[in-house]
Amino acid sequence: MASTFMGLETAKRGLVAQQSALYTTGNNISNANTLGYTRQRVDLQQTTSYPSVGTNAPKIAGQIGTGVEATTVTRLREGFLDTQYRSENSKLGYWENRSSALSNLETIMNEPSDSGLSASMDSFWSSLQDFASDPQNAGARAVVRQRGIAVADTFNYLYKTVSAEKSNVENEIGVSEKAVNTILSQLDALNQQIAAVEPNGYLPNDLYDKRDSLLDDLSTYAKIKVSYESTGGNGLAQAEGKAIVSLVNDDGTEVAKLVDANGYNELNVNKNTAETAVASISVGGTTVDINNFDSTGKLKSIVESYGYQDSNGDIKGIYNDMLAELDNLAYTFATQFNAVHEAGMSPNEIAAGADSVISFFADSKSADGSITSRDGFASRITISDAITNSLDNIANASGTNLSSATLGDATVATALAEIINNKYDYGDNSEQATFRNYFEGVIGSMAVSAQEASKMFSNSTTLQQTVENKRMSVSSVSLDEEMTNMIQYQQAYNASARMISLTDELLDTIINGLRR
Amino acid sequence: MRVTQSMVSANSLRNISSSFNKLNDLSNQVSSGKKITKPSDDPVVAMKGMFYRSNLSEVEQYQRNLSEGYLWMDNSEASLEQANEGLQRIRELLVKGKNDTNSEAERTAIAQEIEEIKKDLVTVANTKVNGKYAFHGTDISTPLVTDGDPPQVAANATDPSIDNYTVQVSSGINLKINVSPTAFSQEMFDVVQGIQEKMENNATDGLDDLLSRLDTVTNNLTTERSELGARYNRLELVETRLDSQEVLANKVLSDNEDVDMEKAITNLSVQESVHNAALSVAAKIIQTSLIDFLR
Repeated sequence: MASTFMGLETAKRGLVAQQSALYTTGNNISNANTLGYTRQRVDLQQTTSYPSVGTNAPKIAGQIGTGVEATTVTRLREGFLDTQYRSENSKLGYWENRSSALSNLETIMNEPSDSGLSASMDSFWSSLQDFASDPQNAGARAVVRQRGIAVADTFNYLYKTVSAEKSNVENEIGVSEKAVNTILSQLDALNQQIAAVEPNGYLPNDLYDKRDSLLDDLSTYAKIKVSYESTGGNGLAQAEGKAIVSLVNDDGTEVAKLVDANGYNELNVNKNTAETAVASISVGGTTVDINNFDSTGKLKSIVESYGYQDSNGDIKGIYNDMLAELDNLAYTFATQFNAVHEAGMSPNEIAAGADSVISFFADSKSADGSITSRDGFASRITISDAITNSLDNIANASGTNLSSATLGDATVATALAEIINNKYDYGDNSEQATFRNYFEGVIGSMAVSAQEASKMFSNSTTLQQTVENKRMSVSSVSLDEEMTNMIQYQQAYNASARMISLTDELLDTIINGLRR
Repeated sequence: MRVTQSMVSANSLRNISSSFNKLNDLSNQVSSGKKITKPSDDPVVAMKGMFYRSNLSEVEQYQRNLSEGYLWMDNSEASLEQANEGLQRIRELLVKGKNDTNSEAERTAIAQEIEEIKKDLVTVANTKVNGKYAFHGTDISTPLVTDGDPPQVAANATDPSIDNYTVQVSSGINLKINVSPTAFSQEMFDVVQGIQEKMENNATDGLDDLLSRLDTVTNNLTTERSELGARYNRLELVETRLDSQEVLANKVLSDNEDVDMEKAITNLSVQESVHNAALSVAAKIIQTSLIDFLR
């Protein structure tokens, strides 16, 4: 025989359970727009039926249900989607950064246009042609000098702007390093908080959400692998435990542990001794050579933009490669131009009756202006002092026959113009190309990389969003659903309350109705 | 699949912004008139664009070089014409002076006229174009002939190394635009001087010999003139070719990177309606939820 008051207890349990479900619904609605929030659900469970089995159990017809209890509040989340999301997010981080770096470079190079290097080279060529058709004209000479200065200035400008971009990226390395380390320290702190809560049988859903958000952020920088370690104690089965985060290469091999159960390891990007390129990456005590670091993500892209030391000790990188190409162009062009110019006869040399060595281009950093070093030459190319001092030092006549060298002889002036169209080994790799072809090649390969990066950026955005959509489908708050739940729980609450007043009426019947 | 408000609004926002992006690209195309704004939009178009630009600027430059050629040739032609007339007049005077009917005074008058023509020939031989001596090959800074009796032609006039004053008319092709310094030879001035002296001295011997030498000299000048004419024709041919090349280079450049306006504007209006549709649909579905229908 069940207790007279059993109905009250069952209804009360209903009230309490529905109430907690309602409050959780309220919490879901409040957090509908909170970043990283995972919708929660109260797990309702029947309480043990009466009577339970035993030798002294009362014999009644069947077991009667005793109501409901709220066991846990759990997050609705799919761990597999998180892994997928983070892997896509790493790729997105890589391509986003790379495409923006290349896009910056494109803007700096400003080709094809009427104001880039090829345009200023075209103008220089035109001025040489004008000069060749009228070699005595001081005006034509002055234009050649000015356009020559413009070519040198364009090289200087491009070199300096690309270098400035490179040093911006250097700052970005520092910022990213700091951002990663902040995330790592936060992750560690959360791990410790979670370890303090879980053994008491609670699920710290808010801390889990924060940790998952941080892991998402971290995955932008590099590919990570997350595993969990139980915190022990009285923990529930659903308790996640401490997150152990490793930095992994694309093939899945672990590079280093970023966060483990006891703490976190700081990530540092180490430069080479000259401080011009990245040499290695270290996590805590582990140092990885940059050539063995193959973890797709923003960090890798920044390193590739800034420059890194490859296994031969050469410095590679988006900006460094462009700087080297500018050097190739400036150095080869200037030396070839000078060779022809030095062999030619200028009005001053004709007047003196002797062929002296007069260069047209010079190296602003060398003492005598001679061009000897290819490295960084694009930043130093300038017009030689001789040309700056006198327009009549610009050669026009052939120097092979001193007696017949005349002011109207345009052999060398024409040859100077031809240099732009002649093939030379610009890349220092035994491949012959004209200035224009070589530069077109440089711009072309940059454009192809930029195009690839921007396509991959848009691809990885789509992929990341697809996964994000799936994840939101599982975890995000639907207001319609919450409203429906609200009605459902509210009605159940109302009905439980009605049950109490019904029980009250029943008791009234017994207590007051049976008096006479 | 479970769909939530935040998914709908995020997706709508993304679609609207991607549609807006396309709208921006198309309006850029229409307003700039170019298919691409940066090389990565289409690397091939960009590379070709660089090449075609250089090509066009080359053609334009060669056209400019041509005008220098025309200037020289027109001037040289006029001067040769004048020199030729002078030589013809000397021939007439010589034939006239040969007649024994001429008195000494008449011969002196003839000699005086020849003297003037001789001076004129010197001036012609030292014609300047743009401040440069036109008939002295590449040695443009010194006169070809120094006045005297007879006038002296510069020693280097026969030096072949100064013969060619050229302009480049297309890649690797140089066209000679001057008349060789040999057009005005020492022989020409010697003959003229010889005739003048005979007339001054009232002598008639050896005039036939001078006449035939004069004819040789005149022939030489005429040959130079017709050669100049032939080269002038070539210059005109080159000009015609460069003109059509310029049109072609412009066309190729434009075909390569200029946008097809009809197409771009059509695409723009299509994209505009797509964008409007996206906005209006998003505005409709984001607003409503179950709450609107609960009493």
